[in-house]
Amino acid sequence: MVTLLRGTLRPLRLFQALPGPAADVPLRAASQGTGLLYPEHIPTSLLQKVLLTAGSAGMALYNPYRHDMVAVLGETTGCRALRVLRDQMKRDPEGAQILQERPRISLSTLDLDKLQSLPEGSLGREYLRFLDVNRVSPDTRAPTRFVDDEELAYVIQRYREVHDMLHTLLGMPTNILGEIVVKWFEAVQTGLPMCILGALFGPIRLSAQHLQVLVSELVPWAVQNGRRAPCVLNLYYERRWEQPLKALREELGITDPPMHIKA
Amino acid sequence: MAAPRSCALWGYCGRGWSRVMRGCRLPGLRSSWPGSPLGARLLSQEKRATETHFGFETVSEEEKGGKASPDSTFCLDPMEMIHEDPPQFYQVFESVAKKYDVMNDMMSLGIHRVWKDLLLWRMHPFPGTQLLDVAGGTGDIAFRFLNYIQAQHQRKQKRQLRTQQNLSWEEIAQKYQNEEDSLNGSHVVVCDINKEMLKIGRKKACAQGYKTGKSYRKNLQLGLAWVLGDAEELPFDDDKFDVYTIAFGIRNVTHIDRALQEAHRVLKPGGRFLCLEFSQVTNPLVSRLYDLYSFQVIPVMGEVIAKDWKSYQYLVESIRQFPAQEEFKEMIEDAGFQKVTYESLTSGIVAIHSGFKL
Repeated sequence: MVTLLRGTLRPLRLFQALPGPAADVPLRAASQGTGLLYPEHIPTSLLQKVLLTAGSAGMALYNPYRHDMVAVLGETTGCRALRVLRDQMKRDPEGAQILQERPRISLSTLDLDKLQSLPEGSLGREYLRFLDVNRVSPDTRAPTRFVDDEELAYVIQRYREVHDMLHTLLGMPTNILGEIVVKWFEAVQTGLPMCILGALFGPIRLSAQHLQVLVSELVPWAVQNGRRAPCVLNLYYERRWEQPLKALREELGITDPPMHIKA
Repeated sequence: MAAPRSCALWGYCGRGWSRVMRGCRLPGLRSSWPGSPLGARLLSQEKRATETHFGFETVSEEEKGGKASPDSTFCLDPMEMIHEDPPQFYQVFESVAKKYDVMNDMMSLGIHRVWKDLLLWRMHPFPGTQLLDVAGGTGDIAFRFLNYIQAQHQRKQKRQLRTQQNLSWEEIAQKYQNEEDSLNGSHVVVCDINKEMLKIGRKKACAQGYKTGKSYRKNLQLGLAWVLGDAEELPFDDDKFDVYTIAFGIRNVTHIDRALQEAHRVLKPGGRFLCLEFSQVTNPLVSRLYDLYSFQVIPVMGEVIAKDWKSYQYLVESIRQFPAQEEFKEMIEDAGFQKVTYESLTSGIVAIHSGFKL
């Protein structure tokens, strides 16, 4: 009976990680060394991805401070959406350049002094101000681990690093309300299931007053801008530090937010 | 600090350095000389100068108290021991220490409590038993041991009460004079290589109301002592303990045979070695389900609950590397134990191995 079960399940690759290990150990996940596509890669089977999805979603709702769980959720569910995003990036000249050169936004790659010296109102200066006011750093992003394609792993990493840029572009702080607004924008832009889930379930923890403001004004504005703007992952932000923020917003078709949200 | 203490030590320990130094855990002074008898550790001359700076709290107290007992177990102040080359699994346990108990419950669905209870029932200690629990970091076995002894003591007292309903007033007054300590000389020493695990164990002890003293000796009197040490080189004298247990720890030891030899050394003649460890599953269906659960579910649990996939991947792999019941039994026999038996629990997922030093 066990062999029958194995025979039917094997083509489904439920228990084997992709790329799969040797056929004679079907139920054991690949350990380190074999089949690593990128340094931080952890190969996972379909069953493990399902369990991770459920577990990370539950834990993220239970403890909203577990940002790593949201990231894991994004990695396990984002397969299809990431492919669409990657194809979109390939079609755009700037996006294709990003895919080829693979720039990273982190404290080691950013020239903070240069950004500080830029004129007021430029993207670089506003980004720096955003980091200071909200007391965040670009280095708190966890590396991608559960995506089974090396290029897609970069795409999702880029998406995470661009997230802070979106905060700057939309003028949203990093509190719960601001994050939900950005999630709505990203859900429309990227179609990642994690963004959609975050956008739909994030408001659970909001107060009634905030919820009302969110639903009546902020969400429609975010959705409208999300649909109008071209794919935000196609912007080579590292080359646009000097560009005035207003000009960039006009280029993307992003209007001012209907109300200012305090940090 | 070094000079006066070393003088005291020289003067006091008439048997010389070797006995004292056997207890020392020093970086660089590794395995015993080949051919030396079990237990004697000869140390090179040039190392003596650096040995004195370790805490000698216990020894100086003995000196003050005037109890001349060169045979007494002494242990250096645990928190001053420095481990130079931590084995690979050390970092794993540093990160898992805080969530250790929670993860144990989740991974074994609470069954680990039954396993540990079974280990105590097999041990069947009585008041006066001296237990050494190695790799017992968070104290699960130690607390069960103390509870078992106290429960026995309470049962004994109840029995005594029933037979003593017709005592005379004089006899009752005499009873008050002989205050019987509930532990009656039994104590447990928890030894672990990892400071974090010991810290958590201590916290649990405090929370449960166990008092802690300032020195090893005081802790022994109170019934519970925490010692930092390596299972392959225990900081204890020979023939010290009645029972040696190691629960879910021996698979992490780099040289299992050395740990078994150390166990043989520190046990008194007549002492018992008990090991609770993951083993090979005999039933093929259970084996498949167990493999599936171990490799698919446990790392995911580790990631979601403890934010650590890799440590739990290591854990399940180390379980597979461990020898099967018969092979482990032979290893225990090789270390010098006799009447070695094993009992498989839960279709062989864990096994309790038992041996005697005769």
